[in-house]
Amino acid sequence: MNIPNIPRDLLTSVAPAIRRHSRSTETTLLAVVLVGCAGLAIASSGDFLSGNSVRTFLQYLATPVLIGLAQMVALCVGQLNLAVGALGGFTAAVMAVLMADAHLPMVVVVVAGLLIATLIGMLTGVFIVATRINGFIVTLATMTMLLGAQYRVVGTRTVDGYSSFLKDLGSAAPLNIPLVFLTAVATAALLALFMHRGIAGRRLLAAGGNPLAARLSGISTDRQIVLAHTLSGLLIGIAAVTATASLPGVNSSVGGDWLLPSFAAPIIGGVALTGGSVAVIGTVLAAFLMRLIDTARAQFSLDPSWVNFLIGVVVLGTVVGGRVRQSRVAAPLPAAAPLPAAGGAR
Amino acid sequence: MSTTTAPPAPPAPDATAETAGPSGRLPFWVNQQLGLFVLVIALAALFGLLRPAFFNAQFVLFPLLSDISTLTVVALAQMVVLSVGHMNLAVGRMASFGAMFAGLGYDRLHLPLILGLLLCLVAGTAIGALAGWVIARTGVSSFVVTLAMDFALLGLVSLLYTALTDNAAFTTTPSGMAELRSYSLADICAGPICGSNAIPQLGQFAVLALVGLGFLYRYTRTGRELLLTGANPAAAELSGIPTGRRIITAHALSGLLAALAGFMAAVSTGSFRASIGGEFMLPSFLGAVLGGTLLTGGVVSVLGALLGTSLVDVIRKGLDLLGVGLESLNIYLGGVLLLALSADRIRNVVSYRKVVRST
Amino acid sequence: MSEVLLEGREIVKVFPGVRALDGVGLRLEAGAVHALLGENGAGKSTLIKVLTGVHPPDGGQLLWRGEAVRFRSPLEAARTGIGVVHQERNLVPGFSVAENICLQAPPSRRGMIDRAAMSAPALRCLAEIGVDLDPQTPVGQLSVAQKQLVEIAKALFTESRVLLLDEPTASLSPQETERLFEVIRRLAARGTCVVFVSHKLEEVFAVCDTVTVLRDGQSVLDSAPLAQYTHDDVVNLMVGRAHTTAGLAPRTCDTASPPALALSGVSTAAGHRDISLDVRVGEIVGLYGLVGAGRSELAKAILGLDRIEAGEIRVHGTPVRINSPRQALHKHGIGYVTENRKEEGVFLEQPIVRNITVTVWRKLARALGYVPAKEERATAADLVARLGIRISGLQQLAGELSGGNQQKVSLAKWLAADTRLLIVDEPTVGVDIRTKRAFHELLWELAGKGLAILLISSDLGEMVTLADRVVVMGNYRRLGETDNDHDYEEMSGRIIRLIHGRPEEAVAPAERNPA
Repeated sequence: MNIPNIPRDLLTSVAPAIRRHSRSTETTLLAVVLVGCAGLAIASSGDFLSGNSVRTFLQYLATPVLIGLAQMVALCVGQLNLAVGALGGFTAAVMAVLMADAHLPMVVVVVAGLLIATLIGMLTGVFIVATRINGFIVTLATMTMLLGAQYRVVGTRTVDGYSSFLKDLGSAAPLNIPLVFLTAVATAALLALFMHRGIAGRRLLAAGGNPLAARLSGISTDRQIVLAHTLSGLLIGIAAVTATASLPGVNSSVGGDWLLPSFAAPIIGGVALTGGSVAVIGTVLAAFLMRLIDTARAQFSLDPSWVNFLIGVVVLGTVVGGRVRQSRVAAPLPAAAPLPAAGGAR
Repeated sequence: MSTTTAPPAPPAPDATAETAGPSGRLPFWVNQQLGLFVLVIALAALFGLLRPAFFNAQFVLFPLLSDISTLTVVALAQMVVLSVGHMNLAVGRMASFGAMFAGLGYDRLHLPLILGLLLCLVAGTAIGALAGWVIARTGVSSFVVTLAMDFALLGLVSLLYTALTDNAAFTTTPSGMAELRSYSLADICAGPICGSNAIPQLGQFAVLALVGLGFLYRYTRTGRELLLTGANPAAAELSGIPTGRRIITAHALSGLLAALAGFMAAVSTGSFRASIGGEFMLPSFLGAVLGGTLLTGGVVSVLGALLGTSLVDVIRKGLDLLGVGLESLNIYLGGVLLLALSADRIRNVVSYRKVVRST
Repeated sequence: MSEVLLEGREIVKVFPGVRALDGVGLRLEAGAVHALLGENGAGKSTLIKVLTGVHPPDGGQLLWRGEAVRFRSPLEAARTGIGVVHQERNLVPGFSVAENICLQAPPSRRGMIDRAAMSAPALRCLAEIGVDLDPQTPVGQLSVAQKQLVEIAKALFTESRVLLLDEPTASLSPQETERLFEVIRRLAARGTCVVFVSHKLEEVFAVCDTVTVLRDGQSVLDSAPLAQYTHDDVVNLMVGRAHTTAGLAPRTCDTASPPALALSGVSTAAGHRDISLDVRVGEIVGLYGLVGAGRSELAKAILGLDRIEAGEIRVHGTPVRINSPRQALHKHGIGYVTENRKEEGVFLEQPIVRNITVTVWRKLARALGYVPAKEERATAADLVARLGIRISGLQQLAGELSGGNQQKVSLAKWLAADTRLLIVDEPTVGVDIRTKRAFHELLWELAGKGLAILLISSDLGEMVTLADRVVVMGNYRRLGETDNDHDYEEMSGRIIRLIHGRPEEAVAPAERNPA
């Protein structure tokens, strides 16, 4: 597994790092994003760069970034988290109801929301470790349960009478940069620090990269799986807070469309599904790219379905393109064979 | 060394060929299918006791069996890709894609019922084969490819419905479709003896799919090659199995079954619209995995897919009758999945301990 | 007598249906190189896992410097001072050499990794075993031998007093092996006890001081000085009966008809240049070379898994172009017994009957692809009987068999398909001596019946026993060829001369030594 985008210690290896990065997924993504921004700016005759649209753009970028990161953390240890959207939606619903119906203060509710999401993430992890059932199935089940629970909490209504302070925070934008976006960026930065420099983060990656080696070095893979799901839960909790703060109201559909983007961002960003790799910047850029597609769609007033279609095509293009580039660098495929050995095709 | 087998294993008769998984060498009470069967019957009896209406043929059993038929086909669509160690996250979208072609055929080309179905199946097979081809050709994980496929089809199908129809649905129905939806075995009579009015005619598709796949996995070369491709792709390739082609076969077959399920769902609801199949992903995994199909490939259970789906649907229906809100049902379904799998795990652990102790 | 570091008494470990260890004793002394020997399935791996805390023992006692200990995890064992270098590569691919070495206790400040402080201990550990590597290199870029040395350095980092090396030379070239031995001796000299597990007795006798031999989960020889035993004594102890080295019945090969396989001037995309060799009907041709010589890669190119860029392949005289293993099998009757049994050879989670008949379904299939189960079973049962595979039933999973029996299953599928040419890649690696012997007889017999065999092996003894001719490869080129006169000393001399009888590798790639 040759993951090109783990930034190493810059102090000791600046030059190789730059060389590595010049060909990494992140650089490619950055280029695509810049070109996309420029294209959109031209197409909208500069409107896209106006203060107002930049703010809106970033406002609704916060949640996709966070859910992408939440999924990435699970992928780090080779797990999948299908419950991203359901947990986010459930947490948002609980927070909204607590504020609107129980009139609890906003700070208490936000803390409670984060705690609930983290706790559910942790329980998921514990369950996976305790029963040894595939994480895919477990999170599929928790997803179902949380969807039901979310409906139980909000029912058919849209809860919007909650803390105006939170909504004010949600729409606050010092220097024209929305607070929620700053929250997401700060979270991403902390996560990057944690993954690259933190002992716990390195353990997480070691367990994902080679579980046996990790175990023999005294790193409990079980604990790392629990940690990954816990962290994933926490990030989803933050995403639920930003969503609640940004959205006009919370209903049973919040989180319903999070699952696919949560996978798309890390996969486009260059994270391997097999675990052991991490790409915080790549994930953020990929979320940015998807937001760009959405904005472009609105700019040209196309059917919202175009976004899904295009994201699907982009994901497919990214992975296929990446694979083709890789195989061209490594060893040419046998030209005569119509279908090369699909050894790694699982 | 043969000493790792639990009891002095008798030369097993080949009847269990398709489920020769790890459970094959554990005591009989660990048999997943048997357990499921007993559970389904027991639950049905329990619900029947609590709410005698559960056994109402026309209003409860008929729709229940219709649902089971459709979702069994969905579970089979997932099972086929699981057999090669892959996943199909786009199973629902492939269903809506296939159904769209059927609707298009009826609406624009005024095709008869059977030709529309054929068109639907061809479309599903083609889209499945495309997914399989991309996976085999690039070696990218099936999870990613079908996820992307799901996105793309989600967008594409809605776009096409918007472009082709006025109110996002094909409502033209060919002759015979209404009958297919509402007829039961009671409408088929051999002389004076008629079938039960609880069993929908829609069930014939599910039975056909079950028999077909049962034959495929138990008796044919292709079925065995699919399983071995799932068990160990590298060894399969070196043993002369066309693994690339088998991966395409599996995904094409999955697309075909998904499209069939989409058609069945459309027949049940009476119209062809983009939302068909939107709920298929969860049941597809529920049915297949509860039935004993391994996510890692190499082991499938055709009958298990039926039993797993039945279990889920019986619970769903029973709770519904007991007055549990439809949306809250999800909470219990997720719980059932976890419970069932945990119980399975516990049974395995217990029998493992017993074997250890007797050594 | 020097200090006893670790002692095991009457250790018992039970798995479902098998007592893997049944009263094993072992005494490891400081400064000794201790050989742990035994056939496959004798319990070596289990013993290592018990010693390193992976499995708790079900009975018996472990003493560390005279005090009873009980390891609940590998970490506890490692903290006590027991390090292990496993057959599996225990490195995290995405991490640097330094981070891998320090994985167990990375230098840190307030929960943050201190990368600068990591290099120093890593360099110290590498220097201790005389290895010059940049600690910042990602381990993904290292060779197998380098990775192994990094693993040893990693064990040094945890200050292991007892270091277990599980088949460390399995994928090393002789030079690399010699280098490893130097490291082992150096470690012993500084008071470490090195436990050396290997199937290669020559290596054991070259480097070890004391020996423990396991058979059927019991120690038949408990920590005795190796010098008191001969090669044959040890083999007898392992096998449990007198090991015969009687010759095999003579056999002739068909020199009249065109060779079953003939390569002339073949170059491949994998990097082979100008390879020529031929295998006649009924002949065993050895393909010898060091690890990395490109032998397995050549076999895979013949099977169509890599592109042939120049030259010609003839099968029974007809020029062919093979695109895939299935074409090789179904059209040309070429089978390949892989060296990588568990990953490429057998389907561990599948019944034996399927493992054997996988190659013949195409032949057995009737209309609609229907494969009659009766014929399928008959085919498998026939081969199980012919090869003497020990199973409890045809539905038994292949993964439950011992290594040797798995290898036989892996061979059986090619015999089922009536292949006319068999490429056999390292058939007896990791197979115990008794099975090895049976395997040699089997291959010999098959050749006697007219099968053409291309035997790839790094085991010179195996080459000398089996091959009619030996082709020597090095650096993806053919270095020469020699007839086999079945005299070990003579042959090893000739082959070593062929390997070294040319300037440094890769300096003049165009040069080629004629035989």
